[in-house]
Amino acid sequence: MLKTIVETGNHVAGLAALVARAQVVAAYPITPQTQIVEKIAELVDSGKMNAEYICVESEHSAMSACIGASTVGARTFTATSSHGLAYMHEMLHWASAARLPIVMAVVNRAMGPPWNIWTDHGDSLPQRDTGWIQIYCASNQEIFDSIIQAYRVCEDQRVLMPAMICLEGFILSHTNMPIRIPDQKEIDDFLPPLEPGWVLNVEKPVTHGNMLSPEYYMELRYFMHEALQNAKRLIPQVAREYSKKFGLPEYSGLIEQYMCNDAEVIIVSMGTIGSEANLAVEKLRNEGYRVGSARIRVFRPFPHEAVKEIATRAKALAVIDRDISFGMEGILFTEIRSALFDLPKRPLAKNFIAGLGGRDVTQNDIEEIAKKTFRILETGTGVEGIEWVNMRR
Amino acid sequence: MIDLKKCTKCLLCWVFCPEAAIERMADDTPKIDYDYCKGCGICAKECKVKVVSMVREE
Amino acid sequence: MVMLKELSKEELVLPGNASCTGCAASLALRLTLKVMGSRTIFVVPACCTSIIQGQFPASALNIPVLNIAFAATGAAASGVVAGLRIRGIKDVAVIGWAGDGGTVDIGIQALSGAAERRTDFIYICYDNEAYGNTGMQRSSATPIGAWTTTTPTGKKENKKDMAFIMAAHRIPYVATAIPSYPIDFIEKLEKAKKIKGTRYLHILTPCPPGWRSDADLSVELGRLAVQTGMWVLFEIENGVFSISSPSRIVLDKTKRKPVEEYLKLQGRFGHLTTEEVAGIQKAVDATLDYYMKLSGQRVYPLLTD
Repeated sequence: MLKTIVETGNHVAGLAALVARAQVVAAYPITPQTQIVEKIAELVDSGKMNAEYICVESEHSAMSACIGASTVGARTFTATSSHGLAYMHEMLHWASAARLPIVMAVVNRAMGPPWNIWTDHGDSLPQRDTGWIQIYCASNQEIFDSIIQAYRVCEDQRVLMPAMICLEGFILSHTNMPIRIPDQKEIDDFLPPLEPGWVLNVEKPVTHGNMLSPEYYMELRYFMHEALQNAKRLIPQVAREYSKKFGLPEYSGLIEQYMCNDAEVIIVSMGTIGSEANLAVEKLRNEGYRVGSARIRVFRPFPHEAVKEIATRAKALAVIDRDISFGMEGILFTEIRSALFDLPKRPLAKNFIAGLGGRDVTQNDIEEIAKKTFRILETGTGVEGIEWVNMRR
Repeated sequence: MIDLKKCTKCLLCWVFCPEAAIERMADDTPKIDYDYCKGCGICAKECKVKVVSMVREE
Repeated sequence: MVMLKELSKEELVLPGNASCTGCAASLALRLTLKVMGSRTIFVVPACCTSIIQGQFPASALNIPVLNIAFAATGAAASGVVAGLRIRGIKDVAVIGWAGDGGTVDIGIQALSGAAERRTDFIYICYDNEAYGNTGMQRSSATPIGAWTTTTPTGKKENKKDMAFIMAAHRIPYVATAIPSYPIDFIEKLEKAKKIKGTRYLHILTPCPPGWRSDADLSVELGRLAVQTGMWVLFEIENGVFSISSPSRIVLDKTKRKPVEEYLKLQGRFGHLTTEEVAGIQKAVDATLDYYMKLSGQRVYPLLTD
């Protein structure tokens, strides 16, 4: 039975933690994530959520506490943004290398200085090397679904890696949307209690995280990489199972495609720019442009095969990055291009940087981006260099 | 090396060994495990009746 | 009064650990585990004990150990306590076991948070008065005048008073101890074991390579630390300060050994001038006078929480 409620992205994340039966939540408030921790505090205090809620004194401690709880077999959840995510960076490495299935909501927010509380992907994308699964959402329904599915994927013995579910600050976190939630019993059916991959137990003592020589380290890192490859296969499977069981839309697993089949130009993006792009695609199609949208949902593990598959059909990709790797280019752009390198016939690819620090990326902006890309195709020039969208002159 | 004839079984050497290299036998006599003794000499220093001597291993 | 013969025979620190010869931290760890027993989970940050455990695939510790990042002991332990509780696992003691660096410097935030939240665990700081694991750089627990690799002409600041900082968190039990006085140490561990809430023990652990002292002196040095008043054994129980018996003797100036006797055995104090030693003596005398007046007094007002 699906129940329809209208809730903000943040509250939805809190509810997902509740129905996923997270047992220990350790979190520190930061705008624009605060409503997640407040919602959970309310649920725990009122007895609706049977969990230990630790009001830690920093994000570094939030992740450390989740790690501690996870090592004794508890299902854990936390949430953060921006500088909070940066502060826990060291412990992100610890969680993944310790093979702990921690799930975290990241409410994407720009890094400072200066202080900027609005959204971009400059907080989560720089964490892409830490071994965490990264999923980028475009709706509150997707946030809810992704968190529940993440526990299933992360806790699978072939994975045992943590995941961050990313949602743009204010655009999703503070916007009310209708979502449909399955009831608790059905979720329990879909998501059984955690069976940890390893656990600290006084009956069978082990020392975890001991000093280890170059003789052994590489193999452990290989296993982590392999685990993420397993996750790449598992994520769409779990999404399909979830969709069938609850009658909820499936987000095509790794990449959500819209009208890509016969597109000449494909707009590649992440998060809500991706859902906005669908509107741009519809309008442009009406004007005769053969354009499509590919919204990368799962950034880690990187969906090489799916990207190649979409790219072979297109002549040009307009890659919109809501981030910038200074001195290089947009991070999504780099990774997309890298995936295309071995193709015998590669589309052109143009990098657009848009929406940093919460600057609005409108349907109109996206239409312009697409049209520019068509012009590049026609004229054969202008593909080099990054285009910064909608800047003050 | 422990001169067991003069040892008073006070257990101080056993208590103070940082390595758990001194075993406390059933009758409270200390027995040094030379595989694990690091030769720090705390036992010799702390023994009140000076029955522990440090002998260089050849 | 505990008898040494009553101490458990079980060795939970297995022989063959990787500590330096004469390491008092290793001794303290061994004694602690004899009292705490096998239903104990240790949380250990980067510190000498990280190395003392030895290298994968072997471990010298026969209890579950969570090795964690340098700053994180208090937080990781909070997580372990919460995880055990929500899973209904009872009668397992969680102990944070950290060096001075991971306690008074980089680890202080997480420890303060854990204490403020009244986390039900024991935190033990074993203090060799510098960052031992990385080669003896100064920490805020390094005493004034001591040589370290980053204070080559002697540290200019006084040792941070961590026991009183922890007491200010209004936790039920704070104590200082030293393995050189094993009966006092064991009694304090036994007492801490029975109390609920955050319990903090700060142990001085002489370090031959770091202090530039002889390996066989580690127990004797600890004894001298107490007999000179350079290390004072006390408890702060529910906010009330009391001096432990080995240090109570030393309140009597006639029974107090001059600090010189402690300092001269350590190369790290070898450069001190007569004036500097006199300064240290003065500070010790003043501290003991202060503690004498503080005996039986509260160190913070009585509150209901």
